[in-house]
Amino acid sequence: MAQFTLRINGEDHKIEAANDMPLLWVLRDKLNLTGTKFGCGVGTCGACMVHVEGEPVHSCTLPAIAVKGKNITTIEGLSANSRHAVQRAWVALQIPQCGYCQSGQIMTAAALLEQNPSNQISNQIIDSSMNQVLCRCGTYQRVRAGIKLAAKMMKEDS
Amino acid sequence: MSDIKLDRRRFLKISTASVFGTGLVLAIKWDELPADNKTLLIKASPFQPNAWLKIGSDGRVTVFVVESEMGQGSSSLMPMILAEELEVAWDDIAIQRAPLKPAYGYQATGGSSSIRKGWATLRSAGAMARQMLIQAAAQQWSVNPSDCYAENSQVIHKQTGKQQSFAQLAQLAAKLPIPENVSLKSPNEYKILGTSVPRLDIPGKVNGSAQFGIDVRLPNMLFATTVHCPVIGGKAKKINDSKAKQIAGVEGVYKIDNAVAVVAEDTWSAMQAAKALEIEWDEGANKNLSSQQIQQQLENAAKNSTRVKFQQGDLDSPGAAKTINAHYDMPFQAHVPMEPMNCTALVNDQGCEVWAPTQSPTGARNTAEKYGLSKFNYYLEKISRRLDFSERDVVDVHTTLLGGGFGRRIQQDYVAEAVQIARQLKQPVNLTWTREEDIQHDFYHPYTFHVMQGSVDANGKPHSWWHRIAAVGQASAGQLPYAIPNSKIDVASVDIAVPTGPWRSVKHHYYAFAQETFFDELAALGKQDPLQLRLELLTDPRMKKVLQLAADKAQWGKPLAEGHFLGLAVHKSFGTYVAEAVEIALDDQGLVNVVRVVVAVDCGIVINRDTLLAQMEGSVVFGLSAALKSPITLKDGRVQQNNFYDYPILKMSEMPKVDTFIVKNNESPQGIGEPAVPPLAPALANAIFAATGSAVRRLPFSQGPSD
Repeated sequence: MAQFTLRINGEDHKIEAANDMPLLWVLRDKLNLTGTKFGCGVGTCGACMVHVEGEPVHSCTLPAIAVKGKNITTIEGLSANSRHAVQRAWVALQIPQCGYCQSGQIMTAAALLEQNPSNQISNQIIDSSMNQVLCRCGTYQRVRAGIKLAAKMMKEDS
Repeated sequence: MSDIKLDRRRFLKISTASVFGTGLVLAIKWDELPADNKTLLIKASPFQPNAWLKIGSDGRVTVFVVESEMGQGSSSLMPMILAEELEVAWDDIAIQRAPLKPAYGYQATGGSSSIRKGWATLRSAGAMARQMLIQAAAQQWSVNPSDCYAENSQVIHKQTGKQQSFAQLAQLAAKLPIPENVSLKSPNEYKILGTSVPRLDIPGKVNGSAQFGIDVRLPNMLFATTVHCPVIGGKAKKINDSKAKQIAGVEGVYKIDNAVAVVAEDTWSAMQAAKALEIEWDEGANKNLSSQQIQQQLENAAKNSTRVKFQQGDLDSPGAAKTINAHYDMPFQAHVPMEPMNCTALVNDQGCEVWAPTQSPTGARNTAEKYGLSKFNYYLEKISRRLDFSERDVVDVHTTLLGGGFGRRIQQDYVAEAVQIARQLKQPVNLTWTREEDIQHDFYHPYTFHVMQGSVDANGKPHSWWHRIAAVGQASAGQLPYAIPNSKIDVASVDIAVPTGPWRSVKHHYYAFAQETFFDELAALGKQDPLQLRLELLTDPRMKKVLQLAADKAQWGKPLAEGHFLGLAVHKSFGTYVAEAVEIALDDQGLVNVVRVVVAVDCGIVINRDTLLAQMEGSVVFGLSAALKSPITLKDGRVQQNNFYDYPILKMSEMPKVDTFIVKNNESPQGIGEPAVPPLAPALANAIFAATGSAVRRLPFSQGPSD
């Protein structure tokens, strides 16, 4: 058991957890931040994606203690009132079906657009990043369109 | 408008055959609502003309939804049907999950049946309320109700333009008698149906607030996971839990029916402890079961006993110029919804409460009753249900959002486990399976083996067709849609211990694959164009129409880009007609790249256009995963796949462009969740056949050719 502090969505949380406990389970079971999802537990499906210092990471395989003191963002902290361009695009194009993977899709897409702020984002760039996040409902076509729409919105906002 | 007479007795208590063979009570009137509900509603809502809606004094219209929301959109589409007849503004609609009361019948969502089951009821329910609101306004204004109409949550008097809102009229409408007749709108008057109104469940799904079963959090709650014998049907004989119990946060280890459960302070600790369990299994009768053995059993079954599903003419009648024989086979497939199996339960002296992402709340209730109650509470529940005397619910089920269903969540195994664990604890417990348990302990899409025999006459036209299916579990098939003079479809069911169950599109997936792929083989044998031959032999004009539309939009018969090829398939299921044209590109190494899928669909009246498109896109992806990705295989009685690394599903870079075209008509609305799955695999197989000249007879295609 270790005690440490995690900075999540701008707030500090005192955590007591096993050294190897992944961030995912600290978020979900200790802090009740259930927007980040468990899908595979081995870093293959991407339902658990969060940002650590702006980088998308699989929270299901990342020991929580390894990111103490770092800035962690979950879907709950991505924006106030779902105003992030990616979230607005997701609503505009009615992307989610069951919605379970969408926290992972949205967090991965938001990080991608942060790193590639062009509104001419190519399918190859989208694929290389979004291949990390699986969707059994099959929303991929809309996710692709959603990323392009969000890129445009971000350009217009800036 | 068309008038329908409301047989009041019928509207109060209509029994209709549902897919589950249970009587379905469609609606009840206000004063028949159970007492506990009634007090609640009287306070909050002045007007509840039937079990399907209530209108508050703020004008908010709450629609009661019985369908489980698993991404298919029913929780928005069902209210759209009611809203259309009520003439309420879509923004005034809210939804509430219908309670487990007799008024709503057996609550289960599956078989693409929601719209078909709810269409008449929800229209009548909305129209009834509209008529009563109009009546209330007419009474107030002392005018003839036929001079008034409703629009946008208002009742308006034609001559004077006077208007009152539903909010203002609700109180008065509640005092009026239920009308004898209701008028239903005709499709050309529709304002909401056929449009793409935004779904009500989307906002919560972009900010993490949507609550799935796995997200249920209750005071004093524990977390659990279960381990099942890796050999199908095996049971735990001896459990050594000393190492498991050393893991911090572990509260207990329990043997339950068919599984061993670990309970801990958090899911992670439970899963770690589960790995540390030393269990000696009684592997039982299936420890030697393998895919090869199953294949052999199916092949043997296909030689012997069978049940005829469809027959015309005589297979032996003379006239065959050329014949072709082929074997098709399709392995087990898992559902892998993104949300692993889970359920939360609380059992105490008062009874049993369950929070479940389930396709069948009634099934969950029955399961909880069986596994989660003391003898006293079990009989109390039986009696109170028989008398519908529900002062308190001994068993209550809260249905959450489902992180995918696809048929997996019509089963109740995870509910049975959660309540068994909860019985040991007297405090709430959230059970979550690992992905490995989910993949290895599914109710799989059945393994099937198909024997196809066909012949063509001297003109190259099909003369005979014989399709024999052997399937694990209950084999089934539909009719042959083609007018082939001598044809037969028969099936053999094979009893094998591997659990099988509904999987998106169920039997249609396997029999359409063999049927539509073999059709192209037969067309090639007779040197016929597969599209023209289908159009010649199809007898249902709606089927021809979707096929022609898909072919036209895919540029069938026109030159394609270098190295590109097209395949077509058409299939009717769940009342809906879907044709798909798959365009592939072959690269230098001969690898297949799926470039584009054209979908043409006729589902009758469209409820929500955008949801229809979404279901077509999603079904294409589901079909592609089945056609291109991993099978479930067995060795030594164990499922060999573990997780997404060895049971992959389609990913972003493999996503083709999907273009959907809708045939518009005013036929009654049909299912949309599943019918676009079955044509995908055969259309893709036919494109590969067109490209390479060798037929693809085994799913998934990555397994290589069949012998």
